[in-house]
Amino acid sequence: MKLLTHNLLSSHVRGVGPRGFPLRLQATEVRVNPVEFNPDFVARMIPKVEWAALLEAADTLNLAEVPREPTEGYEHDEDFLRKMHHVLLEVEVLEGTLQCPESGRLFPISRGIPNMLLNDEETET
Amino acid sequence: MLKKLKSAERLFLLIKKLLPFTAASLSKGKILNEVQQLVHNDPRSWLDAVSIWRNLLKLDVNREEFSQRDANPLKRKMRENEGVIAKKLKTEEMQKIEENHKEYQLEEQTEDTLEQRESTMRRDKLEKEEIQKEVEKAAGAHSQEDLTFRVSCRCSGAIGKVFTAQEVGRIIGIALMKQFGWKADLRNPNLEIYVHLNDIYTVAGIPLFRVPLASRTYIKTAGLRSTIAWAMASLAEIKVGTFVLDPMCGLGTILLEAAKEWPDGYYVGADVSDSQLLGAWDNLKAAGLNDKIELLKVSVIELPLPSESVDIIISDIPFGKKFKIGKDIKTILQEMERVLHVGGTIVLLLSEDHHRLLKDCGGSHMPLDSKGSHTSEPRIKKCLIPEEKPDTSERVTSSYEGGNQECSDKMSPFGSLVPVEYYKVSLGKTNALICKYKKSSTSGL
Repeated sequence: MKLLTHNLLSSHVRGVGPRGFPLRLQATEVRVNPVEFNPDFVARMIPKVEWAALLEAADTLNLAEVPREPTEGYEHDEDFLRKMHHVLLEVEVLEGTLQCPESGRLFPISRGIPNMLLNDEETET
Repeated sequence: MLKKLKSAERLFLLIKKLLPFTAASLSKGKILNEVQQLVHNDPRSWLDAVSIWRNLLKLDVNREEFSQRDANPLKRKMRENEGVIAKKLKTEEMQKIEENHKEYQLEEQTEDTLEQRESTMRRDKLEKEEIQKEVEKAAGAHSQEDLTFRVSCRCSGAIGKVFTAQEVGRIIGIALMKQFGWKADLRNPNLEIYVHLNDIYTVAGIPLFRVPLASRTYIKTAGLRSTIAWAMASLAEIKVGTFVLDPMCGLGTILLEAAKEWPDGYYVGADVSDSQLLGAWDNLKAAGLNDKIELLKVSVIELPLPSESVDIIISDIPFGKKFKIGKDIKTILQEMERVLHVGGTIVLLLSEDHHRLLKDCGGSHMPLDSKGSHTSEPRIKKCLIPEEKPDTSERVTSSYEGGNQECSDKMSPFGSLVPVEYYKVSLGKTNALICKYKKSSTSGL
């Protein structure tokens, strides 16, 4: 699971509304993969990023050199884009957990795939 | 290069296409005569096709020796029932084949892209003449050689009641032998000829590939037929940085086709089944697309995504035959609608039953009788020829046939999902519909 994906996930446990985001990340196995850098792609993702969530996740994983916020004119700032590319796309959580901040419910991440299926009692009907 | 066609299932080199034989009015003997005339009337077109075929074969062999493979593909016919998008490609194909024949003669081994060929189609008149000359040269040489062939024939419709496929096949075979001196070999012929007679057309062609184009080199285990998957992805308008979700991805076929063709999107697939996800992961790995496609184990009716966070949803809704679809299709669509951005696109593959369900559940305020007669017929649209109809909603580029303006209101299954277009496709044994919706800004019920 990449950090870009983590940034988009929110908790859907019953009764949990906007406080179900972001999911707290805990990682026991992380891998860094080189991924082809596409500046256009990264530039388009920047506006969608929830920065607080990203920074929290990056801190948990002890990532260095994470930009704190988008710089002015970031679309052309290659250095900035490359750093974001690394944080969002090249860091992969293989094993770990995601925790709903409101309900405390834990969702496991296994082989890079987060399992967010809810039991029947937990689903919002 | 023909192998790059993504939406075509099988390709044929067209020899002849005629109006159907009017079986009802003529006697059996007369029809047999007409069938023979297929060959005798116009031997030129047969020879032309064969020589083009030979040249294409030679080129393929050269190219593959070049790339160190020694398979010798024969080329194959595109079935008429293969889906509307494929039809368009077929007509382009015939022209392209002639184009390429010429291009290859002049420039060796140039990599052709689909776009290049489409632009060169404009100049066909002039080039056609040049091709004729070259083909005649080639044909002259070839008619002397021994060619073994086999005729595969299919008869259906009215003419199928009068003749069996074997009878027609035999007649054509004999005619070919008489006309060109080729020898028939039923086991292992050089040249295979497909003839198809039915109520709509009479067609003869030479198959181009031995293996259907739908079997991709980069997909290990296909779920959905990859031609349909590609077609769906192409309807979805994927751009750079688009967030594309397939919430019932299964083995990931749709995402694979999309990511291969449009690598600049952000792709996420979800499924509830471990075995499917494992299969999808294998497929991603085999295609080298692990980095482009993320997988989640989530349920489509409870997506752990904030509302309005997804740009595009493409999905093959399980028909209920192979996989159990425990949830209502309406519930599924509701959740999809929730996570979709305004202006976002949904492309779904629906069974005919699902489609009917969706049509009926919308527009409950409409009187049933006026709706009944209209919506019961599936509206088949020939592809990519949008007829611009005046429409109240600006967001919808409606391609419905005349008089259906009211129907587009009846058909929105949910407040803000507006149907844009749909196509009937064949999945082999069953039929289905590819339906495209857009989320409009007017919130509904």
